Amino acid sequence: MDVISSSIKTYNIWFEISGVEVGQHLYWQIGGLQIHAQVLITSWVVIAILLVSVIIAVRNPQTIPTDGQNLFEYILEFIRDLSKTQIGDEYGPWIPFIGTMFLFIFVSNWSGALLPWKIIELPHGELAAPTNDINTTVALALLTSVAYFYAGLSKKGLSYFEIYIKPTPILLPINILEDFTKPLSLSFRLFGNILADELVVVVLVSLVPLVIPIPVMLLGLFTSGIQALIFATLAAAYIGESMEGHH
Amino acid sequence: MASTVMATKPIALAKASPSLSPRKISIRAQAKPSSTSIPNLKSLTSKLLFSVPSIAMLAATPLPALAEMEKAGLFDFNLTLPIIAIEFLLLMVALDKLYFSPLGAFMDARDAKIRAELSEVKDTSAEVKELEEKAVAVMRAARAEIAAALSKMKKEMTAELEVKLAEEQARIELELAAAIDNLEKEKEEALRVLDAQIDALSEEIVRKVLPTT
Repeated sequence: MDVISSSIKTYNIWFEISGVEVGQHLYWQIGGLQIHAQVLITSWVVIAILLVSVIIAVRNPQTIPTDGQNLFEYILEFIRDLSKTQIGDEYGPWIPFIGTMFLFIFVSNWSGALLPWKIIELPHGELAAPTNDINTTVALALLTSVAYFYAGLSKKGLSYFEIYIKPTPILLPINILEDFTKPLSLSFRLFGNILADELVVVVLVSLVPLVIPIPVMLLGLFTSGIQALIFATLAAAYIGESMEGHH
Repeated sequence: MASTVMATKPIALAKASPSLSPRKISIRAQAKPSSTSIPNLKSLTSKLLFSVPSIAMLAATPLPALAEMEKAGLFDFNLTLPIIAIEFLLLMVALDKLYFSPLGAFMDARDAKIRAELSEVKDTSAEVKELEEKAVAVMRAARAEIAAALSKMKKEMTAELEVKLAEEQARIELELAAAIDNLEKEKEEALRVLDAQIDALSEEIVRKVLPTT
Protein backbone atom coordinates (compact mmCIF):
# COMPACT_ATOMS: atom_id res chain seq x y z
CA MET A 1 0.00 0.00 0.00
CA ASP A 2 2.92 2.29 0.65
CA VAL A 3 4.09 1.71 -2.85
CA ILE A 4 0.73 2.76 -4.16
CA SER A 5 0.41 5.84 -1.98
CA SER A 6 3.91 7.04 -2.80
CA SER A 7 3.44 6.51 -6.53
CA ILE A 8 0.15 8.33 -6.33
CA LYS A 9 1.80 11.15 -4.41
CA THR A 10 4.55 11.55 -7.02
CA TYR A 11 2.02 11.63 -9.77
CA ASN A 12 0.13 14.30 -7.93
CA ILE A 13 2.30 17.08 -9.29
CA TRP A 14 1.58 16.17 -12.87
CA PHE A 15 -1.99 15.62 -11.89
CA GLU A 16 -2.24 19.13 -10.53
CA ILE A 17 -0.79 20.62 -13.64
CA SER A 18 -2.37 18.43 -16.23
CA GLY A 19 -5.68 17.42 -14.86
CA VAL A 20 -8.54 18.56 -16.99
CA GLU A 21 -11.77 19.50 -15.41
CA VAL A 22 -14.53 18.60 -17.75
CA GLY A 23 -17.79 20.16 -16.87
CA GLN A 24 -16.29 22.48 -14.31
CA HIS A 25 -17.13 26.11 -14.83
CA LEU A 26 -16.50 29.34 -13.05
CA TYR A 27 -19.91 30.71 -12.29
CA TRP A 28 -20.97 34.32 -12.10
CA GLN A 29 -24.43 35.37 -11.22
CA ILE A 30 -26.49 38.00 -12.98
CA GLY A 31 -29.96 38.32 -11.59
CA GLY A 32 -31.20 34.80 -11.21
CA LEU A 33 -29.13 33.42 -14.05
CA GLN A 34 -25.68 31.99 -14.20
CA ILE A 35 -22.84 32.58 -16.59
CA HIS A 36 -19.81 30.53 -17.45
CA ALA A 37 -17.32 33.20 -16.61
CA GLN A 38 -14.33 31.43 -18.06
CA VAL A 39 -15.97 31.45 -21.49
CA LEU A 40 -16.68 35.15 -21.20
CA ILE A 41 -13.15 35.99 -20.11
CA THR A 42 -11.52 34.05 -22.92
CA SER A 43 -13.95 35.44 -25.46
CA TRP A 44 -13.02 38.96 -24.35
CA VAL A 45 -9.37 38.10 -24.86
CA VAL A 46 -10.13 36.76 -28.35
CA ILE A 47 -12.11 39.86 -29.26
CA ALA A 48 -9.31 42.07 -27.94
CA ILE A 49 -6.73 40.19 -30.01
CA LEU A 50 -8.84 40.53 -33.15
CA LEU A 51 -9.63 44.22 -32.75
CA VAL A 52 -6.14 45.30 -31.76
CA SER A 53 -4.44 43.42 -34.57
CA VAL A 54 -6.94 44.75 -37.09
CA ILE A 55 -6.51 48.32 -35.93
CA ILE A 56 -2.74 48.12 -36.03
CA ALA A 57 -2.50 46.48 -39.40
CA VAL A 58 -5.05 48.53 -41.31
CA ARG A 59 -3.95 52.01 -40.34
CA ASN A 60 -2.71 54.02 -43.36
CA PRO A 61 -3.22 51.53 -46.12
CA GLN A 62 -0.41 51.71 -48.65
CA THR A 63 -0.74 50.95 -52.33
CA ILE A 64 2.08 48.47 -52.00
CA PRO A 65 1.08 46.72 -48.80
CA THR A 66 3.26 46.20 -45.78
CA ASP A 67 3.46 42.74 -44.22
CA GLY A 68 0.60 43.15 -41.78
CA GLN A 69 -1.61 44.83 -44.32
CA ASN A 70 -0.77 42.12 -46.80
CA LEU A 71 -1.83 39.42 -44.36
CA PHE A 72 -5.15 41.09 -43.68
CA GLU A 73 -5.71 41.73 -47.38
CA TYR A 74 -5.12 38.02 -47.96
CA ILE A 75 -7.60 37.13 -45.24
CA LEU A 76 -10.19 39.49 -46.69
CA GLU A 77 -9.66 38.09 -50.18
CA PHE A 78 -10.02 34.58 -48.81
CA ILE A 79 -13.28 35.43 -47.06
CA ARG A 80 -14.59 37.22 -50.13
CA ASP A 81 -13.77 34.26 -52.31
CA LEU A 82 -15.43 31.88 -49.85
CA SER A 83 -18.57 33.99 -49.68
CA LYS A 84 -18.71 34.49 -53.43
CA THR A 85 -18.35 30.78 -54.12
CA GLN A 86 -21.08 29.81 -51.70
CA ILE A 87 -23.54 32.67 -51.89
CA GLY A 88 -23.18 33.89 -55.44
CA ASP A 89 -23.33 37.43 -56.67
CA GLU A 90 -25.08 39.03 -53.76
CA TYR A 91 -22.32 38.15 -51.36
CA GLY A 92 -21.39 41.70 -50.46
CA PRO A 93 -23.62 42.29 -47.41
CA TRP A 94 -22.74 38.92 -45.94
CA ILE A 95 -18.99 39.36 -45.81
CA PRO A 96 -18.95 40.82 -42.27
CA PHE A 97 -21.00 37.93 -40.94
CA ILE A 98 -19.02 35.14 -42.59
CA GLY A 99 -15.73 36.90 -41.96
CA THR A 100 -16.41 37.47 -38.30
CA MET A 101 -17.58 33.88 -37.94
CA PHE A 102 -14.41 32.55 -39.49
CA LEU A 103 -12.07 34.88 -37.62
CA PHE A 104 -13.74 34.47 -34.24
CA ILE A 105 -13.75 30.68 -34.38
CA PHE A 106 -10.25 30.50 -35.81
CA VAL A 107 -8.71 32.81 -33.24
CA SER A 108 -10.66 31.15 -30.41
CA ASN A 109 -9.49 27.69 -31.37
CA TRP A 110 -5.90 28.68 -31.87
CA SER A 111 -5.84 30.76 -28.70
CA GLY A 112 -7.08 27.74 -26.79
CA ALA A 113 -4.28 25.65 -28.24
CA LEU A 114 -1.43 28.15 -28.20
CA LEU A 115 -1.92 30.57 -25.33
CA PRO A 116 -0.80 29.40 -21.88
CA TRP A 117 -4.12 29.76 -20.14
CA LYS A 118 -3.12 27.48 -17.28
CA ILE A 119 -0.95 30.22 -15.84
CA ILE A 120 -4.06 32.04 -14.70
CA GLU A 121 -5.64 30.00 -11.99
CA LEU A 122 -9.33 30.32 -11.48
CA PRO A 123 -11.07 29.47 -8.24
CA HIS A 124 -13.21 26.96 -10.05
CA GLY A 125 -12.87 25.60 -13.52
CA GLU A 126 -10.14 26.66 -15.91
CA LEU A 127 -9.57 28.90 -18.89
CA ALA A 128 -9.53 27.33 -22.34
CA ALA A 129 -10.78 28.08 -25.82
CA PRO A 130 -14.20 29.73 -25.67
CA THR A 131 -15.43 27.31 -28.29
CA ASN A 132 -15.06 24.34 -25.99
CA ASP A 133 -18.27 25.37 -24.29
CA ILE A 134 -21.59 24.26 -25.68
CA ASN A 135 -23.04 27.72 -25.12
CA THR A 136 -20.63 29.34 -27.55
CA THR A 137 -21.05 26.87 -30.33
CA VAL A 138 -24.81 26.75 -30.02
CA ALA A 139 -24.90 30.55 -29.97
CA LEU A 140 -22.93 30.67 -33.21
CA ALA A 141 -25.06 27.96 -34.78
CA LEU A 142 -28.27 29.71 -33.81
CA LEU A 143 -26.95 32.96 -35.25
CA THR A 144 -26.27 31.10 -38.49
CA SER A 145 -29.78 29.75 -38.47
CA VAL A 146 -31.24 33.19 -37.94
CA ALA A 147 -28.96 34.50 -40.67
CA TYR A 148 -30.10 32.09 -43.32
CA PHE A 149 -33.73 32.54 -42.41
CA TYR A 150 -33.27 36.28 -42.58
CA ALA A 151 -31.51 35.94 -45.93
CA GLY A 152 -34.27 33.85 -47.43
CA LEU A 153 -37.11 35.91 -46.03
CA SER A 154 -35.63 39.26 -46.93
CA LYS A 155 -34.94 38.15 -50.47
CA LYS A 156 -38.09 36.25 -51.26
CA GLY A 157 -40.61 37.28 -48.67
CA LEU A 158 -43.05 34.63 -47.59
CA SER A 159 -42.52 32.63 -50.76
CA TYR A 160 -39.32 31.50 -49.09
CA PHE A 161 -41.38 28.80 -47.47
CA GLU A 162 -42.01 27.24 -50.87
CA ILE A 163 -38.55 25.78 -50.57
CA TYR A 164 -39.91 23.31 -48.08
CA ILE A 165 -42.03 21.60 -50.66
CA LYS A 166 -39.41 21.56 -53.38
CA PRO A 167 -38.67 19.31 -55.17
CA THR A 168 -41.56 17.17 -53.96
CA PRO A 169 -43.95 17.72 -51.03
CA ILE A 170 -43.05 14.30 -49.72
CA LEU A 171 -39.77 15.76 -48.54
CA LEU A 172 -41.55 18.32 -46.34
CA PRO A 173 -40.83 16.56 -43.02
CA ILE A 174 -37.22 16.10 -44.00
CA ASN A 175 -36.88 19.75 -44.92
CA ILE A 176 -38.38 20.80 -41.63
CA LEU A 177 -36.08 18.42 -39.82
CA GLU A 178 -33.16 20.01 -41.64
CA ASP A 179 -33.92 23.29 -39.93
CA PHE A 180 -33.17 21.60 -36.66
CA THR A 181 -30.28 19.43 -37.73
CA LYS A 182 -28.37 22.20 -39.43
CA PRO A 183 -27.65 24.21 -36.27
CA LEU A 184 -27.33 21.03 -34.24
CA SER A 185 -24.67 19.57 -36.49
CA LEU A 186 -22.82 22.87 -36.78
CA SER A 187 -22.65 23.36 -33.05
CA PHE A 188 -21.78 19.80 -32.14
CA ARG A 189 -19.17 19.45 -34.82
CA LEU A 190 -17.26 22.46 -33.54
CA PHE A 191 -17.85 21.69 -29.86
CA GLY A 192 -16.84 18.06 -30.18
CA ASN A 193 -13.71 18.79 -32.16
CA ILE A 194 -12.40 21.46 -29.84
CA LEU A 195 -13.28 19.80 -26.57
CA ALA A 196 -12.02 16.41 -27.69
CA ASP A 197 -8.77 17.88 -28.93
CA GLU A 198 -8.21 19.56 -25.58
CA LEU A 199 -8.98 16.35 -23.74
CA VAL A 200 -6.66 14.29 -25.90
CA VAL A 201 -3.79 16.71 -25.48
CA VAL A 202 -4.25 16.91 -21.74
CA VAL A 203 -4.52 13.17 -21.36
CA LEU A 204 -1.40 12.61 -23.42
CA VAL A 205 0.53 15.23 -21.50
CA SER A 206 -0.41 13.61 -18.24
CA LEU A 207 0.66 10.20 -19.53
CA VAL A 208 3.92 10.74 -21.35
CA PRO A 209 6.79 13.23 -21.35
CA LEU A 210 6.46 16.66 -22.84
CA VAL A 211 7.68 16.07 -26.40
CA ILE A 212 5.37 13.27 -27.44
CA PRO A 213 2.09 15.15 -27.44
CA ILE A 214 3.47 17.80 -29.80
CA PRO A 215 2.38 16.03 -33.01
CA VAL A 216 -1.09 15.75 -31.55
CA MET A 217 -1.01 19.44 -30.68
CA LEU A 218 0.02 20.26 -34.24
CA LEU A 219 -2.80 18.08 -35.51
CA GLY A 220 -5.07 19.95 -33.15
CA LEU A 221 -3.98 23.29 -34.62
CA PHE A 222 -4.63 21.98 -38.11
CA THR A 223 -8.05 20.51 -37.37
CA SER A 224 -9.20 23.50 -35.37
CA GLY A 225 -8.30 25.75 -38.29
CA ILE A 226 -10.21 23.47 -40.60
CA GLN A 227 -13.19 23.53 -38.26
CA ALA A 228 -13.29 27.31 -38.44
CA LEU A 229 -13.22 27.09 -42.21
CA ILE A 230 -15.93 24.44 -42.27
CA PHE A 231 -18.20 26.42 -39.98
CA ALA A 232 -17.84 29.55 -42.09
CA THR A 233 -18.24 27.65 -45.35
CA LEU A 234 -21.35 25.86 -44.17
CA ALA A 235 -22.85 29.07 -42.86
CA ALA A 236 -22.25 30.68 -46.24
CA ALA A 237 -23.63 27.61 -48.00
CA TYR A 238 -26.84 27.70 -45.98
CA ILE A 239 -27.24 31.39 -46.66
CA GLY A 240 -26.60 30.86 -50.35
CA GLU A 241 -28.97 27.95 -50.46
CA SER A 242 -31.79 29.93 -48.94
CA MET A 243 -31.12 32.88 -51.24
CA GLU A 244 -31.00 30.75 -54.37
CA GLY A 245 -32.81 32.30 -57.25
CA HIS A 246 -36.02 31.08 -58.72
CA HIS A 247 -35.35 27.98 -60.69
CA MET B 1 -20.39 10.76 -15.80
CA ALA B 2 -17.39 11.63 -13.77
CA SER B 3 -19.28 10.76 -10.62
CA THR B 4 -20.04 7.24 -11.82
CA VAL B 5 -16.41 6.64 -12.73
CA MET B 6 -15.04 7.96 -9.48
CA ALA B 7 -17.68 6.22 -7.41
CA THR B 8 -16.26 2.86 -8.41
CA LYS B 9 -12.92 3.67 -6.86
CA PRO B 10 -13.54 5.16 -3.45
CA ILE B 11 -10.51 3.46 -1.92
CA ALA B 12 -8.14 4.95 -4.41
CA LEU B 13 -9.53 8.39 -3.73
CA ALA B 14 -9.19 7.98 0.00
CA LYS B 15 -5.57 7.17 -0.41
CA ALA B 16 -5.00 10.10 -2.77
CA SER B 17 -3.89 13.53 -1.67
CA PRO B 18 -6.74 15.58 -0.23
CA SER B 19 -6.22 18.37 -2.78
CA LEU B 20 -7.68 16.19 -5.52
CA SER B 21 -11.14 17.24 -6.47
CA PRO B 22 -13.36 14.25 -6.99
CA ARG B 23 -14.40 15.47 -10.40
CA LYS B 24 -11.02 15.55 -12.08
CA ILE B 25 -10.87 13.08 -14.90
CA SER B 26 -7.38 11.95 -15.64
CA ILE B 27 -5.76 8.69 -16.41
CA ARG B 28 -3.28 8.06 -13.69
CA ALA B 29 -0.68 5.42 -14.29
CA GLN B 30 -1.03 3.68 -10.98
CA ALA B 31 0.40 0.56 -9.43
CA LYS B 32 -3.15 -0.81 -9.51
CA PRO B 33 -4.00 -3.44 -12.07
CA SER B 34 -4.13 -1.57 -15.33
CA SER B 35 -7.06 -3.58 -16.53
CA THR B 36 -9.42 -1.41 -14.55
CA SER B 37 -8.24 1.90 -15.97
CA ILE B 38 -8.75 1.11 -19.64
CA PRO B 39 -12.28 -0.26 -19.34
CA ASN B 40 -13.03 2.84 -17.32
CA LEU B 41 -11.97 5.03 -20.22
CA LYS B 42 -13.99 2.91 -22.62
CA SER B 43 -17.00 2.95 -20.37
CA LEU B 44 -16.54 6.68 -19.97
CA THR B 45 -16.58 7.33 -23.69
CA SER B 46 -19.46 4.95 -24.23
CA LYS B 47 -21.32 6.62 -21.43
CA LEU B 48 -20.60 9.95 -23.06
CA LEU B 49 -21.95 8.77 -26.38
CA PHE B 50 -25.06 7.23 -25.00
CA SER B 51 -25.73 9.88 -22.45
CA VAL B 52 -25.60 12.75 -24.93
CA PRO B 53 -29.29 12.61 -25.80
CA SER B 54 -30.30 12.11 -22.18
CA ILE B 55 -28.12 14.93 -20.98
CA ALA B 56 -29.34 17.15 -23.78
CA MET B 57 -32.85 16.49 -22.62
CA LEU B 58 -31.78 17.09 -19.06
CA ALA B 59 -30.20 20.38 -19.98
CA ALA B 60 -33.32 21.32 -21.87
CA THR B 61 -35.44 21.07 -18.77
CA PRO B 62 -35.12 24.26 -16.77
CA LEU B 63 -32.84 23.56 -13.90
CA PRO B 64 -33.86 25.10 -10.60
CA ALA B 65 -31.46 27.31 -8.68
CA LEU B 66 -28.90 24.68 -7.96
CA ALA B 67 -27.69 24.26 -4.48
CA GLU B 68 -25.15 21.86 -5.93
CA MET B 69 -23.07 23.53 -8.62
CA GLU B 70 -21.38 20.22 -9.27
CA LYS B 71 -24.46 19.04 -11.11
CA ALA B 72 -23.44 21.02 -14.17
CA GLY B 73 -21.76 19.01 -16.84
CA LEU B 74 -20.86 19.40 -20.43
CA PHE B 75 -24.31 20.52 -21.54
CA ASP B 76 -24.96 23.42 -19.28
CA PHE B 77 -26.96 26.08 -21.09
CA ASN B 78 -27.34 29.38 -19.36
CA LEU B 79 -27.08 33.12 -19.85
CA THR B 80 -23.70 32.63 -21.50
CA LEU B 81 -25.43 31.75 -24.76
CA PRO B 82 -27.17 35.06 -25.43
CA ILE B 83 -24.20 36.98 -24.08
CA ILE B 84 -21.89 35.30 -26.56
CA ALA B 85 -24.41 35.93 -29.33
CA ILE B 86 -24.52 39.63 -28.47
CA GLU B 87 -20.73 39.79 -28.25
CA PHE B 88 -20.49 38.18 -31.66
CA LEU B 89 -22.86 40.68 -33.21
CA LEU B 90 -20.99 43.60 -31.65
CA LEU B 91 -17.72 42.13 -32.90
CA MET B 92 -19.23 41.80 -36.37
CA VAL B 93 -20.23 45.47 -36.43
CA ALA B 94 -16.84 46.55 -35.08
CA LEU B 95 -14.87 44.48 -37.57
CA ASP B 96 -17.02 45.72 -40.40
CA LYS B 97 -16.36 49.34 -39.49
CA LEU B 98 -12.67 48.87 -38.82
CA TYR B 99 -11.56 46.26 -41.27
CA PHE B 100 -13.91 44.83 -43.87
CA SER B 101 -15.32 48.08 -45.18
CA PRO B 102 -12.25 50.34 -45.18
CA LEU B 103 -9.79 47.74 -46.40
CA GLY B 104 -12.27 46.36 -48.90
CA ALA B 105 -12.92 49.82 -50.32
CA PHE B 106 -9.19 50.50 -50.47
CA MET B 107 -8.51 47.25 -52.30
CA ASP B 108 -11.33 47.84 -54.76
CA ALA B 109 -10.14 51.38 -55.47
CA ARG B 110 -6.63 50.12 -56.04
CA ASP B 111 -7.90 47.44 -58.42
CA ALA B 112 -9.94 49.96 -60.36
CA LYS B 113 -6.99 52.30 -60.63
CA ILE B 114 -4.71 49.56 -61.89
CA ARG B 115 -7.30 48.45 -64.40
CA ALA B 116 -7.76 52.02 -65.64
CA GLU B 117 -4.04 52.49 -66.06
CA LEU B 118 -3.75 49.19 -67.90
CA SER B 119 -6.49 50.10 -70.34
CA GLU B 120 -4.88 53.51 -70.82
CA VAL B 121 -1.62 51.87 -71.69
CA LYS B 122 -3.35 49.61 -74.15
CA ASP B 123 -4.98 52.64 -75.81
CA THR B 124 -1.74 54.57 -76.10
CA SER B 125 -0.06 51.61 -77.69
CA ALA B 126 -2.68 51.76 -80.45
CA GLU B 127 -1.95 55.46 -80.81
CA VAL B 128 1.71 54.75 -81.03
CA LYS B 129 1.11 52.26 -83.82
CA GLU B 130 -0.89 54.87 -85.70
CA LEU B 131 1.84 57.41 -85.34
CA GLU B 132 4.40 54.91 -86.50
CA GLU B 133 2.43 54.17 -89.62
CA LYS B 134 2.05 57.86 -90.31
CA ALA B 135 5.76 58.34 -89.96
CA VAL B 136 6.48 55.53 -92.39
CA ALA B 137 4.03 56.98 -94.90
CA VAL B 138 5.59 60.40 -94.55
CA MET B 139 9.01 58.95 -95.08
CA ARG B 140 7.90 57.16 -98.18
CA ALA B 141 6.30 60.30 -99.56
CA ALA B 142 9.42 62.29 -98.86
CA ARG B 143 11.59 59.74 -100.56
CA ALA B 144 9.34 59.69 -103.58
CA GLU B 145 9.45 63.45 -103.69
CA ILE B 146 13.18 63.48 -103.51
CA ALA B 147 13.50 60.92 -106.27
CA ALA B 148 11.18 62.88 -108.50
CA ALA B 149 13.03 66.11 -107.85
CA LEU B 150 16.32 64.40 -108.47
CA SER B 151 15.26 62.97 -111.80
CA LYS B 152 13.82 66.30 -112.83
CA MET B 153 17.06 68.05 -112.02
CA LYS B 154 18.98 65.44 -113.92
CA LYS B 155 16.88 66.00 -116.98
CA GLU B 156 17.32 69.73 -116.82
CA MET B 157 21.02 69.44 -116.39
CA THR B 158 21.44 67.09 -119.30
CA ALA B 159 19.33 69.33 -121.49
CA GLU B 160 21.46 72.32 -120.60
CA LEU B 161 24.60 70.39 -121.14
CA GLU B 162 23.50 69.25 -124.52
CA VAL B 163 22.67 72.78 -125.51
CA LYS B 164 26.05 73.96 -124.42
CA LEU B 165 27.70 71.09 -126.15
CA ALA B 166 25.94 71.87 -129.37
CA GLU B 167 26.98 75.52 -129.11
CA GLU B 168 30.57 74.66 -128.51
CA GLN B 169 30.54 72.18 -131.31
CA ALA B 170 29.17 74.74 -133.69
CA ARG B 171 31.78 77.24 -132.61
CA ILE B 172 34.54 74.77 -132.96
CA GLU B 173 33.34 73.81 -136.37
CA LEU B 174 33.30 77.44 -137.39
CA GLU B 175 36.77 77.95 -136.16
CA LEU B 176 37.86 74.80 -137.83
CA ALA B 177 36.34 75.91 -141.07
CA ALA B 178 38.00 79.28 -140.69
CA ALA B 179 41.27 77.65 -139.94
CA ILE B 180 40.98 75.38 -142.90
CA ASP B 181 40.18 78.32 -145.10
CA ASN B 182 43.21 80.09 -143.86
CA LEU B 183 45.34 77.14 -144.52
CA GLU B 184 43.96 76.78 -147.95
CA LYS B 185 44.68 80.41 -148.68
CA GLU B 186 48.17 80.06 -147.38
CA LYS B 187 48.59 76.97 -149.45
CA GLU B 188 47.50 78.78 -152.51
CA GLU B 189 49.72 81.65 -151.67
CA ALA B 190 52.56 79.36 -151.12
CA LEU B 191 51.83 77.60 -154.36
CA ARG B 192 51.73 80.86 -156.21
CA VAL B 193 54.94 81.99 -154.68
CA LEU B 194 56.44 78.65 -155.49
CA ASP B 195 55.10 78.88 -158.97
CA ALA B 196 56.70 82.28 -159.43
CA GLN B 197 59.91 80.98 -158.00
CA ILE B 198 59.72 77.91 -160.12
CA ASP B 199 59.39 80.08 -163.14
CA ALA B 200 62.35 82.16 -162.13
CA LEU B 201 64.38 79.12 -161.28
CA SER B 202 63.57 77.42 -164.48
CA GLU B 203 64.66 80.57 -166.41
CA GLU B 204 67.92 80.56 -164.52
CA ILE B 205 68.50 76.98 -165.08
CA VAL B 206 67.80 77.35 -168.79
CA ARG B 207 70.18 80.26 -168.99
CA LYS B 208 72.83 78.40 -167.17
CA VAL B 209 72.49 75.26 -169.04
CA LEU B 210 72.07 76.58 -172.53
CA PRO B 211 75.02 78.27 -174.03
CA THR B 212 74.76 81.96 -174.14
CA THR B 213 73.76 82.92 -177.35
